Amino acid sequence: MEIIFKNVTHSYEANSPLEGIGLNDVSLAIHDKKFTAIVGKTGSGKSTLVRHINALIKPTSGTIKVGDREITPETNNKNLKSLRKNVGMVFQFPESQLFEDTVEKDIMFGPMNFGMSESDAKESAKKMIKLVGLGEEYLDKSPFDLSGGQMRRVAIAGVLASNPETIILDEPTAGLDPVGRKEIMDLFKNLQKQGRTIILITHNMDDVANYAEEMVVIHDAKVMAVGKPKDIFNDKELLTNDILTLPRSAVFAQKLSKRDFSFPQLPITISELTAEIKQQVHGD
Amino acid sequence: MEKIISIKDVTYTYPESKQPAINNLSLDIYRNEWVSIVGRNGSGKSTLAKLIDGLIESESGTIFVDGQEVNEENIWNIRSKIGIVFQNPDHQFVGATVEDDVAFGLENQGVPRDEMVKEVDDALKMVDMQDYKTRDPQSLSGGQKQRVAIAGVLATKPSIIIMDESTSMLDPNGRKTVLDLVKQLRDQQDMTIISITHDIEETELSERIVVLRSGEVVKEADPKAIYDMGSELTKYGLEEPFSSQVASLLKDGIKLPEGYLNEEELIENIWKLSSKM
Repeated sequence: MEIIFKNVTHSYEANSPLEGIGLNDVSLAIHDKKFTAIVGKTGSGKSTLVRHINALIKPTSGTIKVGDREITPETNNKNLKSLRKNVGMVFQFPESQLFEDTVEKDIMFGPMNFGMSESDAKESAKKMIKLVGLGEEYLDKSPFDLSGGQMRRVAIAGVLASNPETIILDEPTAGLDPVGRKEIMDLFKNLQKQGRTIILITHNMDDVANYAEEMVVIHDAKVMAVGKPKDIFNDKELLTNDILTLPRSAVFAQKLSKRDFSFPQLPITISELTAEIKQQVHGD
Repeated sequence: MEKIISIKDVTYTYPESKQPAINNLSLDIYRNEWVSIVGRNGSGKSTLAKLIDGLIESESGTIFVDGQEVNEENIWNIRSKIGIVFQNPDHQFVGATVEDDVAFGLENQGVPRDEMVKEVDDALKMVDMQDYKTRDPQSLSGGQKQRVAIAGVLATKPSIIIMDESTSMLDPNGRKTVLDLVKQLRDQQDMTIISITHDIEETELSERIVVLRSGEVVKEADPKAIYDMGSELTKYGLEEPFSSQVASLLKDGIKLPEGYLNEEELIENIWKLSSKM
């Protein structure tokens, strides 16, 4: 589903002394079946932006089109189920949303809430628990006996079980160990390859460089840049204004630039970086 | 070196769990040391922190903190020596303003009002947040929130600070300000730092890395020796340091010295190779 923001402004506590701008006149297209990363400092408006996509919050002005659904300031809270079934959202610390007494029931809750039969939901839970890298034996456990990383996987399985077309991930790997983080990121990449749209909020620029095809930079409630990660990480203006930090490979290349190496475009992944270095050392 | 924490043969099993979370573990930590505790999710890192702080009680073995055994009798004394900074900055605020929040721990200890005001000011100065005294903690950035959380810990004058993945929710700039602060505290305040982390670059600042697996200490060495393990690190859920990843990809085609090179050393070596051409 194509997602199109048109002149979206969101004010918190509008018309009160505490009024604050969460989004300021944002127009943006997030493309169908792509892997899009959304980056920006804490408090820049990233979470506010994505919460509009399944109408968890509504615009103060402007519209958001999600496929053929349109969300406006007037959209009421009825009839949002089909939208929310299609747009799955994994929040920061999703494990805090686990509440059932077994892992199986927790994974089944979402799909059944969206109208799936109990037996189909059970089947789906079985598939999803394996997909997130846990065995079927976890289904009978209480979610609260699991480690933080395992709970995270259960929560992600719960979102995937409804089979959403678009998956929004708000810092889904914070606090996971690096091996676990890579497994989860690879899982999202695979889901995209199977035809889903992935929207990832992250502070990890290496993940952006390694996984995303498109990138949106949010700053002070506005969209500062949209494009391919390689182009955006080479945008001098964004970098000099301290709006963006670089992937580690690009930082490494910058340091080499001070030592007679030259990179017309900064490499953003480790394979690009090492290929460039080899070429320059060998002088061919 | 003087031991500040001494853990001997400690085992702990969570209720309803079959395997122990901490399994006959022994570990000494020395005064003014910065120790990183690493390992996969579920390897026992946070459980170990809870045992040291007496939040849970070991089923066997002993733990001494600053000469006192962790038990019911000493628990409050021991907790006053230990400050913990948690992962999620949003889960650790109780006050309506930054200064109220920092004062909270002192109030609990019954510190008189005028003394408290001074100590709150001092703590906020140490973390460079004195200008935000009257702000609502929720209006701060992630890095600022963690600095206020650290100020709250510092105000109670602990001799040990446990950082339980305290930088994992922060953006890169927030992370840097928090780590710079911790480094400064260790250098200037005679503080012992125990840092539970998944971030290999962060461990480079510490003197010793302790690797846990299934509740046991499987490796314990200075950062360089740990980084020398190379790709074996992934067995323990860790990532190789970035410079090692770059070096191992370069080795297919470029001749580099054996063993771990930090980023500067690697750049130096690459530069030498290219300038010979």
